[in-house]
Amino acid sequence: MTDHEWLALAAPYALDTLDGDERAAFETHLAGCGQCQAEVASFREVAARLAATAPDVSPAPALRRRVLAVARRPRQLGWLAAAAALVLALGAAYGYWRERTDRRALEARVAEQGELLATLLAPDDGVANLAATGKPPSARLFWNPQRQRVVMAVFDLPPAPAGRTYQLWAIATGKPPVSLGTFNTGPDGRLTAAMAVPAGLVFDLTAVTEEPAGGSPQPTQNPFLVGSVQRTE
Amino acid sequence: MTPDHALVQRMAAGDERALGELYDRHGRAAYALVCAIVRERADADEVVVDVFRQAWHSAARFEPARGSVGSWLVTIARTRALDLVRARGRRARALEKAALLSESGFASPVAADDAPDRTAERAETQRIVTRALANLPEPQRRAIELAYFGGLSQSEIAAQLGEPLGTVKTRIRDGMAKLRTLLGEERT
Repeated sequence: MTDHEWLALAAPYALDTLDGDERAAFETHLAGCGQCQAEVASFREVAARLAATAPDVSPAPALRRRVLAVARRPRQLGWLAAAAALVLALGAAYGYWRERTDRRALEARVAEQGELLATLLAPDDGVANLAATGKPPSARLFWNPQRQRVVMAVFDLPPAPAGRTYQLWAIATGKPPVSLGTFNTGPDGRLTAAMAVPAGLVFDLTAVTEEPAGGSPQPTQNPFLVGSVQRTE
Repeated sequence: MTPDHALVQRMAAGDERALGELYDRHGRAAYALVCAIVRERADADEVVVDVFRQAWHSAARFEPARGSVGSWLVTIARTRALDLVRARGRRARALEKAALLSESGFASPVAADDAPDRTAERAETQRIVTRALANLPEPQRRAIELAYFGGLSQSEIAAQLGEPLGTVKTRIRDGMAKLRTLLGEERT
């Protein structure tokens, strides 16, 4: 593609209407092209102003009270506690098996589980539910910005074929995806793992793609799991 | 008046009153946008609460250099509203409803029970952008609205309208370019 042809994708990109392949290709180009970045920023302003054409509707007065309550409501554990319990159970089962063979590996494993738990239970994490369209597999991701870690729990995902791997991406709106690492599930289709987040990286979306073994610098195919990050209360 | 970004700073520091003030300034615009996308008022309430929850929790990460508080909230609101429509498989239904309103496009009220007591500023913005949009050829406006309010990709728009993909791409590109010119002229 010539530069001019890339530039033509800035408007549909800013409008979030590029199809997956085209979007991934454009994002790769965008990372290194100041002219396209400026064009995208300019069209994003135009896109944001489209919101003003929505017909005016009065919200119910009660909505204001509900909005204010988000600042007060205590943090809900729910799924988080369940995931923590799962991690503990996995750690205990694994530890029992491991005990007879290698004490040092066990200690490392316990430390890793501790890290998982600390990441899960810290008071300021974000949660993303990653879902395929309507069906398994699914994944849940916990992000702890202070510890610069994510913990992900994956369900119903068959192990990647030989020579392939799964790769987790963090995506900040308007920026190219950043790899958080590769992973594979066990024969039971499950995985609980902690991964490091590059310092200072802030993201609103996470996605999983299948990549050649060793991972790719940028996604080579459309993600089959996508979720937006929601900060927990 | 406290600037918007100062309110967001106060939110980051845990000031609940700043959240209330932000809602008073931008809640109505966010609500209108969410209604236009989800088209059910009960759903719109849920989404707007989510939008301000996200704003409250991510206030510390807001960067004034990247855009105004208004467009930050609008972006969160659009993303959340489209998430809900997609998650509930409502997209097809919402689009059917929208298609019925094709003359006025998405810009048709969900319910006509509202007193026009919005702020003068919001009314002025609405007037300017609506006029700019009305200046586009109808097929361009329609494609842009399906992308922005419907959350459709270009190939989905092509399928929805029964038009070739290349035609849809040209409409979106030309329409956005013209809109930018029109809005740029209005701004001065």
